[in-house]
Amino acid sequence: MRRDIYLFSNGRLMRKDNTLYIVSEDGIKRAVPVEQVENVHLFGQIDLNSALFNFSGQKEVMLHFYNYYGFYTGSFYPREHSVSGIVTVKQSDHYLRKEKRLFLAKCFVQSASFHMLRTCRKRGIHGYESVQIITELSKNIRDAKDVQQTMGIEGMIRQHYYRALNELIPEEFTFAERTKRPPRDPFNALISFGNTMMYTSVLSEIYKTQLNPTISYLHEPSQKRFSLCLDLAEIFKPLLVDPLLITLVNKKKITSKHFENHDGMVYLNEMGRKIVIAAFDERLQQTIRHRKLKRNVSYWYLIRLECYKLIKHVIGDTPYIPLKAWW
Amino acid sequence: MYVIITYDVNERRVGKICKKLKAHLTWTQNSVFEGEVTKGPFLKCRQEVESIININEDSIYYYIVENPKHIRKEIIGEEKGQFDCFF
Repeated sequence: MRRDIYLFSNGRLMRKDNTLYIVSEDGIKRAVPVEQVENVHLFGQIDLNSALFNFSGQKEVMLHFYNYYGFYTGSFYPREHSVSGIVTVKQSDHYLRKEKRLFLAKCFVQSASFHMLRTCRKRGIHGYESVQIITELSKNIRDAKDVQQTMGIEGMIRQHYYRALNELIPEEFTFAERTKRPPRDPFNALISFGNTMMYTSVLSEIYKTQLNPTISYLHEPSQKRFSLCLDLAEIFKPLLVDPLLITLVNKKKITSKHFENHDGMVYLNEMGRKIVIAAFDERLQQTIRHRKLKRNVSYWYLIRLECYKLIKHVIGDTPYIPLKAWW
Repeated sequence: MYVIITYDVNERRVGKICKKLKAHLTWTQNSVFEGEVTKGPFLKCRQEVESIININEDSIYYYIVENPKHIRKEIIGEEKGQFDCFF
């Protein structure tokens, strides 16, 4: 069972004795079993050298970097170990052909809105006006003529969804609108941070498959990011991240003291990030019984299954049916 | 599964074994490593360790607990090595 480690303290991460060592500022060395590490998330100020990069490349450990405010900077993405020309070619083909791309884009939005409604239903606010609007809007997805329209509907759904979420969180967290780059209030900061963690998790799962993370369908591939992660994350954000955040604020695990405000730019402090990550990590390891596979699979693995389904779709094996949580 | 590995080997090989095991499991005490692993990585770890030792002089004990929930660890005194995901 490989897992992620999160470095918050400052210090040095190095290769020694063919494993990873973390040397803290006060000189305490700790060995980390490299065979058990999947991703390393670096939040603090950490020194690294090329020997470490070579080593983590060899061991296929991804390094994800975040800046001082906890925003995603980038990843060290080791040499692709599973490449398949066929998949890349077919994946591009599905992007280039309008109707094929539209089909996939719609799939992502449909699944996303399904999960948004699911979250609202589970929390007992399905009767609210904004939720009703989402239900109406999600029926329109099928009729969208192109990807821009699909994106438009998705945007509207999201607006109403965030309005509905306001009903579920304590008053101190209510927010008027979704603001990002930078988030302007605590709950926006939470959403941004949760989404960041989701993107990197999806990226590390895509990395294990033959998919090319830069070719996307709903988002434009020219977004200077691994945009396929954004596509797939759409499915998982309302399923994993949002319920988690609602629970955290309602159980008062996250309170106003976990935020810092810098000239209207709000972000989580170290303690807050740790709480969110611990909860997120735990959630990803939770398992549910898979209907078709007839065994328990974790949320981590569900992300990977989504990638496999996408591969099967693009190579023309089985048509893609997006995940719709059945539990 | 949860595995505890203890080793008693010739002085010349102690360092080698220790370094090798560090890459796979968490160090808990002198000559003791433990941690949760799956079958494949565990076999790899075993194979690497067993290629170092001399069967006539050294001994390695593996304690394998199939269900990690069936293990209760009680620590008295100082806890030496722990592995959690935050550093």
